[in-house]
Order: sequence, then C-alpha cells, then structure tokens
Amino acid sequence: MDIGQIWDLIILSPMINILIVVSGYLFHNFGLAIIALTIIVRVVTLPLTLKQLKATKAMQELQPKLAELQKKHGKDRQKLAQEQMQLYKESGVSPAGCMLPMLVQLPIWIALFQSIIRVVAVTPEGFLNLARHLYSSWSEVFSLVPLNSKFLWLDLAIPDRLLLLPILVGGTMWLQQKMVTPKTADPRQQAQSTMMLWLMPLMFAFLTLQFPAGLALYWVVSNIISIVVQYYVTGGWGGLVLVSGRKPEGKDKTYLKRITAVEEKKVDYTEAEADIGDDVGADITERGTARKAPAGLKMIRRYSGKSKRHKRQ
Amino acid sequence: MSFRRLIGKLSLLVVMLLVLTSGLTIFGCRGELGAIARGWSGVAIADGALFLGSMDGKLVAINESNQDRLWPDVPFKASEQSGGFGCARAPEAVAIYGTPAVAEDLVYIAGYNGKLYAINAKTGALRWVHPREGELEPIVGGPVVALDKVYIGSSSGEIYALNAATGDREWVFETGDKIWSTPSVNGDTLYIGSFDKKLYALSVADGSKKWQFETEGAVVATPLVYDNTVYAGSFDRYLYALNAANGSLRWKFLAENWFWARPVAANGIIYAGSVDGKVYALKAENGDKVAEFDLESPVVSSLISVDGSIIAASEAGQVYSLTTGNNQKRQLVNLEEKIYAPLAASNGVIYIHSEKDVLYAVDARSGATLWSLSLKSE
Repeated sequence: MDIGQIWDLIILSPMINILIVVSGYLFHNFGLAIIALTIIVRVVTLPLTLKQLKATKAMQELQPKLAELQKKHGKDRQKLAQEQMQLYKESGVSPAGCMLPMLVQLPIWIALFQSIIRVVAVTPEGFLNLARHLYSSWSEVFSLVPLNSKFLWLDLAIPDRLLLLPILVGGTMWLQQKMVTPKTADPRQQAQSTMMLWLMPLMFAFLTLQFPAGLALYWVVSNIISIVVQYYVTGGWGGLVLVSGRKPEGKDKTYLKRITAVEEKKVDYTEAEADIGDDVGADITERGTARKAPAGLKMIRRYSGKSKRHKRQ
Repeated sequence: MSFRRLIGKLSLLVVMLLVLTSGLTIFGCRGELGAIARGWSGVAIADGALFLGSMDGKLVAINESNQDRLWPDVPFKASEQSGGFGCARAPEAVAIYGTPAVAEDLVYIAGYNGKLYAINAKTGALRWVHPREGELEPIVGGPVVALDKVYIGSSSGEIYALNAATGDREWVFETGDKIWSTPSVNGDTLYIGSFDKKLYALSVADGSKKWQFETEGAVVATPLVYDNTVYAGSFDRYLYALNAANGSLRWKFLAENWFWARPVAANGIIYAGSVDGKVYALKAENGDKVAEFDLESPVVSSLISVDGSIIAASEAGQVYSLTTGNNQKRQLVNLEEKIYAPLAASNGVIYIHSEKDVLYAVDARSGATLWSLSLKSE
C-alpha cells in the first residue's frame, strides 16, 4: 500500500462519504453540506487554530523588540540571530509555533478540498473516480449520489458566472488577512506585508473564476470562520481598527512617556533622533502608523526650537 | 515605486500565481481525478472498417485488414462554452464517449460538445450535424440507429429522435435529469436510463412513454434487452431485470458498487460487470448467482461474447476470458493501460481502445496482440 492509498483510506474516503451523507441530512443540499463540513472541520481543528493564532499574536507583540534588535545589530547577522533567539527564549515564543499548527492542519484542508472536487464530479471520469471512494457498507451513500449541485444562484460544479463569489472570496480573505497582518518596523517588510495583503485575495478571487463554485464556497465559509475566531482570540479587529486611525489606549502610555521624557530634556534634535528615534519609530510602527514617525520628530523639533536646516547652517 | 521594484513585485506575483495554481492542480484538480472530459469511444465495425472517436476529438476510420486510414481523421470543434483552467477548464479537444453507429452509408458520432454528426462512411465528408445552430448539452451516450431514425440522449435530460438521413428532429422526450446512457432499441420500443433514477421505455414512433421504472440511483448503463426482459444496472448497486412489456420487476441483484457497463447475455446467463471490480454471472430467469469473477479493478468497459466466451476488461488494463462452467477466468492480455471503452469484436478479434488513445487488436483465443495503433499519430 503506497502513501496515496493510505491517504485515501484514512483521510479522503471518510471525508467524501461524510460529505455525501451530511448532504442527505441537509435537504439533499450539497451547498449546505459544504458549509456544515467546513464548520465541523474548523471546530475539530480549533485547538490548533487557537494555538497558531496565539503564537502569531505573541510574535506580533515581539515586533517592536525585534525591530530594536534589528537596528542595534543589523550589521552583525550572527549577533542579531543570537539576540533574536535569546528574545524568543525569554518571551517563551517559538517562531515555529506559528507554522506548526498550520502545517498539521494542512492535510485536513487538502482532504476537504479534494473531497469537494471529487463530489462535484461533472465528467464521466470524475464520477468513476468518486465511485472508488464510496463505502459499499453505507448504502445511503449510493442513493444520494450524484448530489444536486444547485445552491442559491450557484451551480457548485462550475465557476460562478455572476462573479459574486470571486468578490466574496477576495473580500473575506482580505478582511481575514488584514486582521492578522503583522506590523513591522522594517519598511521593506511592511511593503511586502501590504503586497501580500492584496495579492492573496486577488489571486483567490481570480482562481474562483476558474474553479468549481463548491470549492469557492468552502473558501468563503472558511474565511468567515477565520475572521470570527480571530476576532475573539486576538480581541478585536486587529489591523483593521488601526487602518481607521484609532489608537490602542494602553500602549499610548509608553509612547507618551518617552515623548515626554524627550520634551522635558529638550534634547538637541540630532541627539533625539539618534537616541529616541529608534524607540519612537518602533512604537509608532507597532501601532501601524509608520507615517507618523516624522510627525513625532516634528514635535521634537518644535520643542527644541531648532530645525535640521538651522543646525546644518 | 521604482521600475525595478515594480518588476520585482510583478515577478513575485507571477511566481505566487504559478505556485498556487500548480498546488491546486496537483492536490485537487489533477487530470486523473476526472476533472477534464477526455472520452472513451468504443469501436463500431462495418464492412471491414473500424470507426471510433479518438481522444483528440476526431472520427477515425481504419481498414480492418491493413490498419490504414480509410480517409483523413475528421476533427470536431470543441464547445465554445468558456472555461478556465484549473478544475473547470474547457477541453482542448471534443471528448467522445459514445461508440459511433453505422447504418447505410453513414457513420453517426456524438461528442461532449453537444453535437451529433453524420459522416459519409466512404469519404469522411460531413452529411449533417445536429443541431445546425448552437449545441445541445454534453452528449455522453452513443447514438443508436433503428429503421430511419437515429436516437441520442443528452445531459439536458432529453432524448432526441432524428431523421437518420437529414438530421431533422422528429420527436423529443424529456426526463428529469441528465442522460449519459446509450439507448437500446428493441422492436418498437426504446429503453434508456436517466440520472433521475428512472429507466424509461418509449415508443420509437412518437416518443410516447410506455412505462418507467424507478430505482434508487442514477441509471447510466446501457440497458440490455434479452428474452423479453430488460436488464439495467443502476448507481444504487442493483442490476434490475424488468418485464420488457410493462416494466414490472422480475428480480434484482445487489453488487458492491455501481453498474456502469452494459451487461451481456449468453446461454441463459447474464454477465454484468460492476465498478466493484467483479463480473457477476446470473441466471436470466431468476437472478441466481452462478459465478462471480473478481477482476480486481473496476469494470467500466462493456463486456462482449465472442465464440461462446465472455470477454471482460478491467480498468487496470487486464482482459479476461470468463468461463462459467468451471468458474474460471483466464487472462488473455494485460495491456497495462486503463480501459473504459466498450469492447468490440469481429472474426475472433477483440478491439480495445485504451485510455492512452491506442487501439489494440487482440486474438480472442490466444490473447496475442495482433497489432496496436496509436490514434494520435495522424
């Protein structure tokens, strides 16, 4: 028995049969079955999802410190790596903690994906491929196949011609991504994050135009569940709120404290830039408003009563 | 944004798209999963010529004696319905599942593009196409010619009776779901199964319904009419034996998976291949099991009777001769290529169209491969 057969036996075939039987209990509606099975799988894998989200959140919270390390040891890669590892160790955060639960869930997602593709068989070849997964001891399965592929305005076996589903897929994915996109002090990383934030939703919206609507329905439901889970785990809308310009109150205290310290000392601008700029920049960037860093500096300029130009003169 | 960064970002986008689509294709939409219609036409034999649809969407006519083409392959135009790539991509070539039918001087062949063609058997010239404008829903079953009409079912759930000479529509009968079955005509009655789980008996004259029999699953297998009984398998795993006159149930037999292939009858025994990998030999009169042959791979290809032997092919590419007397199967040949197309035979030679689009001629007694011909060669 090769790995493909083991995969089929243990994961794929059970999922296909469950999907078919679930549709039987849900008014012979395959669309509802996809939604139900997606929810079931998400609930079963919830502990892993929570673990992943918490690890991601912890990593996000470490970003300011990581940025500091980056600035401090940017040129010494070895030292930087050592310091970063030390920081991870002290904080009890493992970078692998973000990826591992996701990797564990990946086979389940692939199986669900494959199940939907097989059950929405359109061609004779597709039907024959489905037949080999059906349990002969489960007679109900045979009377349910082929499933009715109509759901709302969709034919789940073909792409959505009305283009509503691509918009839903892209929209929900953007929302979900936006909530977890980490803020970073590094402008290059920030640019990459922003690009990813748009690329992934656009790509999936594009793929929705090409793949059976059943699969896209699964993407939409899965995204919505992710949004809900993230909302409760990370305690809000995450990056979405920051887009609107609202400042998290708790973290402003540290920020204001540092600014006040600078103001009270009335430090020379260049010193302020050198001594405080890193911290201020990191703090500001942490809150997703990297553009405000110059504003902070402007404030310092105002109190020091000097401008860069004057200083140079 | 500098030009260089823009190029960098675009490159990243392209790479990500490629990775994602490849990933989806590999994990979910592989061609072998059946997302793409490829076809598996059987062979029609008439006047020393073999006619079949190739997997690149052409009608091929071969001289049985020397394997030369009778005329250049006739290509068919794929459906204009748009598709994408991935799991919903439109096929590049017309998939041909049904075995062509030959009558008089015409070869009738239907495609997944929803068209039925009548081609001159001597020259390969197109005589007519139905419909002339537009297309029907995909056609999976083959055409059947009886008297002056040609009959075909479509995925729209409709059965069409067309004038065999002109292609004009004579009548249409609508069922409740897709039709993938090839009709069987016996006397003045046409029998056909539908995805609506019913088997229909229609008058060939006007398409009026004589009776219908409801099963628990889709009926895709071509019905067999034998000794006033209609035998048809269903996706509910039963092979049904129905009174041909009124559709009443005589008996039914339960297998472990779907019946897709058309059964064959010989000496009062019905041989039915199932997707469960077995061929069941059942008494025609009461359905009692006489023998069971395990081919160890789904049987999709319709069986044939050649010189008193039953020939069956498994999906895995093994071709067997079955004998009910001693309940034995004898392997004739292992082609090591998947076989879905119905088998055909003439003068002790079995013709097998493999999934790799190769036509094999196998001696029915010895199992020797007499010749093979790749249909992609021309």
